[in-house]
Amino acid sequence: MPVIQVKNKSVHIQELNKGARETIVLVHGMFSNLSVYYFNIAPVLAQSFHVVMYDMKSHGMSERCEYGYDLLSMTDDLRDLLDALHLKSVHLAGYSYGGLVAMKMAMRYPSRVKKLAVIEAPDPSDNETLSIIDIYSKEFLVDYINNYTDTTRMRMGKRQLDKNHRMYEYLFYETSIKEDMHNERFFFSDDTIGNIAQDTLLIYGKSSNCLPSGRKLYHTVPRSKMTLIEGDHNLPIQQPLETANKLKDFFIGWQVKFKQINHKLWQALRLSYHP
Amino acid sequence: MDAITTKHKLSNEEIFTILKSFITEVIGEEFVEDMDISRESSFARDLEMDSIEIVSFSEKVKSHFGENIDFTGWLSSMDLDQLINLKLDDIINYIETCQSSK
Repeated sequence: MPVIQVKNKSVHIQELNKGARETIVLVHGMFSNLSVYYFNIAPVLAQSFHVVMYDMKSHGMSERCEYGYDLLSMTDDLRDLLDALHLKSVHLAGYSYGGLVAMKMAMRYPSRVKKLAVIEAPDPSDNETLSIIDIYSKEFLVDYINNYTDTTRMRMGKRQLDKNHRMYEYLFYETSIKEDMHNERFFFSDDTIGNIAQDTLLIYGKSSNCLPSGRKLYHTVPRSKMTLIEGDHNLPIQQPLETANKLKDFFIGWQVKFKQINHKLWQALRLSYHP
Repeated sequence: MDAITTKHKLSNEEIFTILKSFITEVIGEEFVEDMDISRESSFARDLEMDSIEIVSFSEKVKSHFGENIDFTGWLSSMDLDQLINLKLDDIINYIETCQSSK
């Protein structure tokens, strides 16, 4: 299991197509893990790129940590990971809160981010967004009880319920995650968002609650373009292949495609040339 | 863990035993004791494995069988429902097919 030490913390990473010339780093959202990319999205991107996925602190199989869920700390973590993997400059894609981490990375360390893709990043000032962690917590507890008492429907097994319950309990009550996320509520008002210089792709679900956040970013991030896919906030799960292909096309870019076509034409000409 | 290149083709039963040991490593012996792991066991429903545990399991499969199989590629062709309904037998058959096509 690829767990590496980054600044004395254990970080679970997965890499595909290690030999490729360029790297894409994928950042998952809060209360999730790298599996959101692992099964469908990463393999598509790995057809052309070295792909790195990692579990954020206290998520997936990475080490637990009581502090540092604000965007400064999360981008410090990402910078340290890039250093540990000897990656000077990468393409970066982030989903949900991971999208905010990716944007903050582009703002703080522009030389280390080539192109930026933001999937379903919420505006942290939305009341709905601010209440998400509370809703998640309550929903989880309600589900927990319902699934335990209702034996007539398909339910999550006891082991998974316990495992999830432990994760939520830890994050909500033993770490600074709530406070740190709440303190990021003015992130969309940060003037430096307008200084993001990278080509930026914004991917949002057509029926997502976060779509207005995407539109705000589209008007703020100078070199951004927006693409919409059928689905809601859970886009990478609902439409993994379409999401992957949008990302791949964006990161490959028309210049590379043009070079590939050129190369094929040149080869065809050489083959047809008989002196 | 380095890839182990098997010199002979593993039997269906041998593959089943290896996969069962991987499941035990991923979810822990204390939970496996209460489970009846069979070829018909589905990962999500019967074995109650979540997505990050399936990642861990598939990494073990990749490490063990190495270049002989494109396990990630095979998984990536499945949608969420197919992944949820994936049975141990499906993986055994896939590995057997890869072995025989070498």
